[in-house]
Amino acid sequence: MSTTTLHLEVITPQRTVLSAQVSDLQFPSLTKGYYGILPTHTPLMTPLNDGIIFFSIGNQKKMVTVFGGFAEVGPERVTILAQESETQEQIDFNAAELEYEQALKLLKDSPNEDSVRTAQTLLDRARIRMECSGRTHSR
Amino acid sequence: MASFQDIRRRIRSVKNTQQVTKAMKMISAVKLRKSQERLIALRPFAQKMREVSGAIVNRLKGAENLSGLQHPLLQAFLFPREEKSIHILLVASDKGLCGGYNANLLKKAHQFLDTLGTKTTSFDVVGKRSADWARKRKLHLRESYVQIPLQGLERVAQDVSRYAAQAYQDGQIDGLYMIYNHFYSAVNQEPRVVKLFPMEIETSTPKSVDPLLEPNPVVALETLLPKFVETEILSKLIESSASEHGARMAAMDKSTNNAGEVINKLTLTMNKIRQASITNQIIEIVSGANA
Repeated sequence: MSTTTLHLEVITPQRTVLSAQVSDLQFPSLTKGYYGILPTHTPLMTPLNDGIIFFSIGNQKKMVTVFGGFAEVGPERVTILAQESETQEQIDFNAAELEYEQALKLLKDSPNEDSVRTAQTLLDRARIRMECSGRTHSR
Repeated sequence: MASFQDIRRRIRSVKNTQQVTKAMKMISAVKLRKSQERLIALRPFAQKMREVSGAIVNRLKGAENLSGLQHPLLQAFLFPREEKSIHILLVASDKGLCGGYNANLLKKAHQFLDTLGTKTTSFDVVGKRSADWARKRKLHLRESYVQIPLQGLERVAQDVSRYAAQAYQDGQIDGLYMIYNHFYSAVNQEPRVVKLFPMEIETSTPKSVDPLLEPNPVVALETLLPKFVETEILSKLIESSASEHGARMAAMDKSTNNAGEVINKLTLTMNKIRQASITNQIIEIVSGANA
């Protein structure tokens, strides 16, 4: 086994979203911001925050979204168990944008704290998906 | 002796039934394929989940002075308490016409209840058949999920696992069991009783290096365990659904064949009667001509 790449797998209950040899990756941890993982990293397990996983295959930078994830890191492989995940190609930017606007509207009209929280979650989701699709102005 | 007309009518009626069973068989085949696909898609996730959860639980079992172990599931897995009251998730189907699927399952449930002795039980049921069964026996029913489509099973799994964790914490239940049909193949299912938690998670050989648990073991396990239980329930619910369609397909296939046999027999009788009447007529004509 080479020590210059690691095997990254992203698995959801619906399907295996990604299975590839990558040279490095970053994922959002629950409490401590982004973790950068290189080959031969020490074994580690951690829950993930909702967000984007960045990784590179050769010189190509890629990303996938992750929602409700958990990472298991080993020296040669990283497995991400996620409730939901999408690759860049699977995201429908227009749908995400629509979701974003709907969530924004919901947030404005929210009558109580519970619904504010729901709206915020939806908003974050939509924002993450838009960001990951690579078509936002901010990136 | 039935008349020629009567038999013809019966053949037509059996043929109609045969068409219905044939159609039902084909529908079940499609539904079975869908459930099976879902099951296969979930399998890698469920397996990894079991592996990771097992690794962490094992690691924590060895560790000492665990502070802050408040999460109910965590306690359940690490320090199971004596079972006095258990919660049971019973999964049967909404509709009949699926051979021994429901009957075998409910028989198994009955046997299981007999072994419990003085323990108190409460139930969640999936499917109308199990709901009826539980109601007839006046069992303590929390929730009945009927007419749940395949995509809705996730919600059910979530709901049940959340309730169980909460109830364990409140001391209402000491364990969660599930009675369902295990899916071996399209024609082979077996009713099973499994303990969902506190359960022994079988673990692979311990790794040489203990993994770091970030931000700390308790938080890591707290986020993972509810998902683990949920995934276990979900995969078994989907298995039940696949079993149901498999059982129905087999049952309908059998009735289609049986209908074919009945038709053959009736056709034979019909031909015999027709032949007999023709022979009779010939005899009459011949004896008339001889006279």
